[in-house]
Amino acid sequence: MKLGGFAGKTVSVDLSIGTVATEAIDEAVAREFIGGLGMCIKLAADRIPPGAAPLAPESVFVVGAGPLVGTNLPSSSRVYAVCKLPGTQTIGWCGAGGFSFGAQLKYAGFDHVVVSGRAANPVYLHVEDGRVDIRDAAALWGLGIEDACERIGGRHEGSIGVLTIGPAGEHRSTLSMAFVDRISTLGRGGFGAVMGAKNLKAIVVKGRGPIDVAQRRRFGRLSQTMLKNIREYVYLKEWQDLGMVKAFPVVPPDEYRKMKMRRVACVSCPVGCKDVVRIPEGPYEGLEKHSSSAINLLTPTMFGMQDISESIRLVIELDSVGLDMFEFFNVMEFAKKLVDAGIIHLQPDEIPVDLTSFDSMMSWTKKVACREGTGDLLADGVNEAIKKIGPSAAAHAGMLVKGIKPYAGPGAALPWDRFGTMELGQVLDPRGPHVGSGGSPTYFAIRPLTVFPKHLKRMGVPEAAIGRILGEKGTSLNVGRLLRYSHAWFATLGSLGICARGQVNRFYNADICAEAYEAATGIHTTKADLAERVARIWKTLRDLNLREGLDDSYEAFPEEWFGENGFKDYLTGEPLTIEQAEQMRLDYYDEWGWEA
Amino acid sequence: MKYRLAYKPEKCSGCLQCQLTCSFMFSRVFQLSAAHIQIHIKGAVYRAMFTDQCTQCGLCADNCLFGALTKSKSEVTN
Repeated sequence: MKLGGFAGKTVSVDLSIGTVATEAIDEAVAREFIGGLGMCIKLAADRIPPGAAPLAPESVFVVGAGPLVGTNLPSSSRVYAVCKLPGTQTIGWCGAGGFSFGAQLKYAGFDHVVVSGRAANPVYLHVEDGRVDIRDAAALWGLGIEDACERIGGRHEGSIGVLTIGPAGEHRSTLSMAFVDRISTLGRGGFGAVMGAKNLKAIVVKGRGPIDVAQRRRFGRLSQTMLKNIREYVYLKEWQDLGMVKAFPVVPPDEYRKMKMRRVACVSCPVGCKDVVRIPEGPYEGLEKHSSSAINLLTPTMFGMQDISESIRLVIELDSVGLDMFEFFNVMEFAKKLVDAGIIHLQPDEIPVDLTSFDSMMSWTKKVACREGTGDLLADGVNEAIKKIGPSAAAHAGMLVKGIKPYAGPGAALPWDRFGTMELGQVLDPRGPHVGSGGSPTYFAIRPLTVFPKHLKRMGVPEAAIGRILGEKGTSLNVGRLLRYSHAWFATLGSLGICARGQVNRFYNADICAEAYEAATGIHTTKADLAERVARIWKTLRDLNLREGLDDSYEAFPEEWFGENGFKDYLTGEPLTIEQAEQMRLDYYDEWGWEA
Repeated sequence: MKYRLAYKPEKCSGCLQCQLTCSFMFSRVFQLSAAHIQIHIKGAVYRAMFTDQCTQCGLCADNCLFGALTKSKSEVTN
């Protein structure tokens, strides 16, 4: 019997020998691993050969969308990939707003795509209404993200979904990412290189088929109730107007509105946090850019660039070549220190490294992405550069967690200093520093503890655990134990296909998730059932990494996090100590019931 | 009742909630190609087209949370 919600099939592609094989979703596995992120992790556990190097032909990646993707349940369009990431050397999840890719994949008849091998020449996968072809990508190879999407779009009538890499991925830079529908980013840690190492430029999906749900009336009532609740949300219009600028006001709203062309949404999302902007003035006036959020376009200003239009123009270039901008700036900061210390010397024709200079960063974007000159030394990140240069470079590495610079914390791009779940999660998520999985009420520093219980209940935290997290009187906070439930809530949403962003997941709770899953799939599911399956999913991810050799060294806290300029305790504001952080790590594992 | 339906492309986010809702209502499945309203997106240009099968029930407008689709009581077809 075909399950509701699921498209019903997984397609496996071996690019070395050019084979395509489809198989029906195993209902027993779906019952145990929910779908979406959970099924991606299960498929990765089954298919990734032990010890395979991330960029080796035998390495495998999985892309998939959950059972709610393609329905009208609000904001159910997430896409996930799981693979061994070259930047972290861990097996990690990558997630993106699916825009239309996830839904189109489902309408085309597939929930998951498993890719192994390495094509002899550049290819792309064409997935359309039950068919999967490996097609020649010679004309696409070398194109930037936007150009590739335009070229592919020109070959098709109507809407399609495109997952593609730019030149950085083609050159197997571990700083590279893939892009979903030219807007969303997938794969901090080098997912772009994983695709590039397979000579795979893109996955193109187009579907005209249906997604059925098992209990139609119940599902329809649930989606209508949710849409009604969201319509009545007092801040909805403000979110729709400002998007992520509402949460991170890096520019005043009036400045943002000058560049805003339109807000765009992933399929089924009533909030819409993606942007199309136009540079309003200056030498780049009129340039348009699709972006996962306007605030990303201003990231270079966090590193000292002054001119907003130059900042946007630079991000257009970084996105075009498919580079992770945080990692790019991190490796450039490292390069500047090495040059200043006389440890490396630039070639005569190379522009000096200056993170505040538009010309410098534009030049180095191309050099890193295409491995030109000294760019080749930097294209695999700080740790790989140290291996090539020698120990003298190590003193200039700065903070790294699993080989990647933390995005939040003292000295990071987002310099907030209270130590909540998102900050601890940079160390305890196997994939390393990423904004996605550590969400909780601590996301917004500094919230009163009185608001925590309602959010914890919404996330499905049991009453007994709330006592362990907030203390008997509700006056303390155990960040380690709370993070265990942040990861569980993230895995719940991801496995169903629901967006984890706070402005969206606030409308969901564990009961709604269980009801939506049961109504969609027909699989009997309670809140407790979901919790049990999510624990299985996250344990599978951990075990997979233990199999790959993940040890305590992967969970070491950067020494810069401690001391007077380091992180502060979330509640007291007192400097965090390494002993406290280590206890949080132990508490995290204790709350899962696993050995640390 | 039939409603007059109006579409403001500048407010449309491309979420396709209208198409999803329509197909689920009339085809009992989520299928963009089966919807009686079709949103066409080319770059930053957005258009809406109603098929001959559209009954002007207004459900698409009810579920448009961006205000791109609105309905008004009228016997006049759009």
